[in-house]
Amino acid sequence: MRPDDRERGAMSTHSVNPPQPVSLSRRGLRERLGSELSFVPVALGLVALFVFFAAESDVFLTSRNLNNLLVQATVTGIIALGLVFVLLVGEIDLSVAATSGIASVLMAKLVVDADLPIPLAVLSGVLSGVAIGAASGRWITLIGVPSFVVTLGVGLVLNGIQLLLLPNTGRYNLLNTGVERLAATYVSGLAAWLLVLSGIVAIACLRLADLRDRKAEGLPTSLLGSVVTPTALIGGAMIAILLFLEGQRGLPMPVILFALLLGVMAYLAGQTRFGLHLYAIGANAEAARRAGIKVERIKIAAFAIAGGMAAFGGILAASRILGVSVSSGGGVGGGALLLESIAAAVIGGVSLFGGRGRVVGALFGALIIATVSNGLNLMGVANEARLIVTGLLLIVAVSIDRGIEKAASHG
Amino acid sequence: MAHEPDAPILSLRGVSKSFGGVKALTDVSLDLVPGTVVALVGDNGAGKSTLVKTMAGVIRPDRGDYFFEGRKVHHSGPAEVAAMGVQTVYQDLALCNNLDAVQNLYLGREEVGPWWTGFRLKRARAERRSKDVLRRMRLDSIALDRNVGAMSGGQRQNIAIARSILWEPKVVLLDEPTAALSHSAAAQVGKLVRDLAGQGLAVLVISHDIHHFVLDNTDRIEVLRLGRNAAGFDSSDVTGEQVVNAMVGGNEAINAAG
Ligand SMILES: Nc1ncnc2c1ncn2[C@@H]1O[C@H](COP(=O)(O)OP(=O)(O)OP(=O)(O)O)[C@@H](O)[C@H]1O
Ligand SMILES: [Mg+2]
Repeated sequence: MRPDDRERGAMSTHSVNPPQPVSLSRRGLRERLGSELSFVPVALGLVALFVFFAAESDVFLTSRNLNNLLVQATVTGIIALGLVFVLLVGEIDLSVAATSGIASVLMAKLVVDADLPIPLAVLSGVLSGVAIGAASGRWITLIGVPSFVVTLGVGLVLNGIQLLLLPNTGRYNLLNTGVERLAATYVSGLAAWLLVLSGIVAIACLRLADLRDRKAEGLPTSLLGSVVTPTALIGGAMIAILLFLEGQRGLPMPVILFALLLGVMAYLAGQTRFGLHLYAIGANAEAARRAGIKVERIKIAAFAIAGGMAAFGGILAASRILGVSVSSGGGVGGGALLLESIAAAVIGGVSLFGGRGRVVGALFGALIIATVSNGLNLMGVANEARLIVTGLLLIVAVSIDRGIEKAASHG
Repeated sequence: MAHEPDAPILSLRGVSKSFGGVKALTDVSLDLVPGTVVALVGDNGAGKSTLVKTMAGVIRPDRGDYFFEGRKVHHSGPAEVAAMGVQTVYQDLALCNNLDAVQNLYLGREEVGPWWTGFRLKRARAERRSKDVLRRMRLDSIALDRNVGAMSGGQRQNIAIARSILWEPKVVLLDEPTAALSHSAAAQVGKLVRDLAGQGLAVLVISHDIHHFVLDNTDRIEVLRLGRNAAGFDSSDVTGEQVVNAMVGGNEAINAAG
């Protein structure tokens, strides 16, 4: 017997009543701003920043500067991308910057000292990040200690190990090792167009598959709303970026890698069972447990993803600045890199209280931070002002987060 | 099945459970028989929810045995108990406020695509079935894609009830399913409960509404007092007064107070 048959039986006495029309009362705008549209305010903020800086500086909107801006956003963005998973289950990882540092140093050591092929060295670095994240996650779920304390400790331990791994000079030079190509490669012309088009096709196919499924079940569908509009918006943004950067040297590899990771992570969090369980745990871990969800395992996986992404971000940073040193990974305590990664996720609408926000928020958050720093730089504002503005942005973002959380629990 | 029709499908024997110094349950036994509705009543803190959670596999008792279909079971947790066919509506509802109705109804039992899709959710089928079950519960006004956090208390309670009957259960445990419901909605649940028993399910329902809901809709009444079995009645030959007296300790309590 299928569940439907049982329901029909159990409810047979009710079905004599004339069926009422299915309510068309959709979720309100406020509710959607709390979930799938959570990045809209920050996207609008980004537009405002662009308008402001474009008015203040002639250089800001040049393709060379936008290229710089995008590349600046990638490292923070990739680390924030992984952090989103940990935040969604209601935890935090304060060791991501340190993880990015130690993974890049490990990669460099393997390339310089052990002559390992670069792909293997990069893979080892990323896996070390995954292992660090998984170990923290295991400890946190096993002992039941707050994640911010454990990962703070882990971060310091990693900082120490990073110093031990570095040679006496305190630095590995990566110039002419081949690692620099990871960040310095550009994809242009036909290849770039093919990349962008395949991205658009992938999105359209996923949307169309959903539409077909809904049709097959006799559910209301909207080709315009569920396929054309989202595909056109995302595709349009991708083509716009491509057209802008074509004028320069093409698509920088870090930006391509970030976009790929963003796509994969957004799919994972938004379309899969694993992703749904992240949200469920973040909202009500006990309910998730009673529903049979393996809460510990999923939390550990979230920490492992954060660790792996942080490691990859660190390796990309090392490739960009052609070396690793004491200050890789933001230096002791993670410094600005740690704060900016957390800020990127939170500014992007991912809640520190768990269960709320979208992966794409990491993109917008990282872009905001990069835009502020890039724009203020062009205006000739000193570094300390940049720190102050970023710090204030973070405070504003968590305050808004708290406001939404309050509104959600009282409404 | 070798199992006899009138034999209990789910039994607890001699269950005890303490939380630190608090003895929530002491040597409690309870039988649920297919086709009958059992009311579990008792004062606040009598141990009703603890007993339901024990049956649902959420709480592991300190002592006592769990029998299902005549066999002693050592389950690993709520998922295994649910897989045996025991569904529960918890007093706190156990809903995820950030998920919509469909996602809550299917939580932990999502239909997904093959591994190479990363176990992609199959939303459309779940949505259609959810729509069907809600329509049969006459809950058409609930929008399936609204977060349950934005719903009223009664709507949330109905979602939790719908979830429990969506999966062909053999036993349904309802912990105060009518607490937030209007009079007519509560009557609706009473009818649902009797329908389920009519289908051959074993139903346990907790309610404080002795005079109406319990006497009207149940076959047996089991009374818990201070974590112990205090009394058991057939609903047809007992008055509300008798039940309430058993709950609060009847004449003894009055004498003790005087
Ligand atoms: N998780 C827990 N930790 C500590 N004590 C608990 C816990 N759960 C229940 N108790 C205690 O066990 C006793 C029984 O609680 P229980 O929730 O089972 O009562 P109840 O009969 O369901 O009451 P109500 O009618 O108020 O729902 C109470 O004294 C309560 O404080
Ligand atoms: Mg209770």
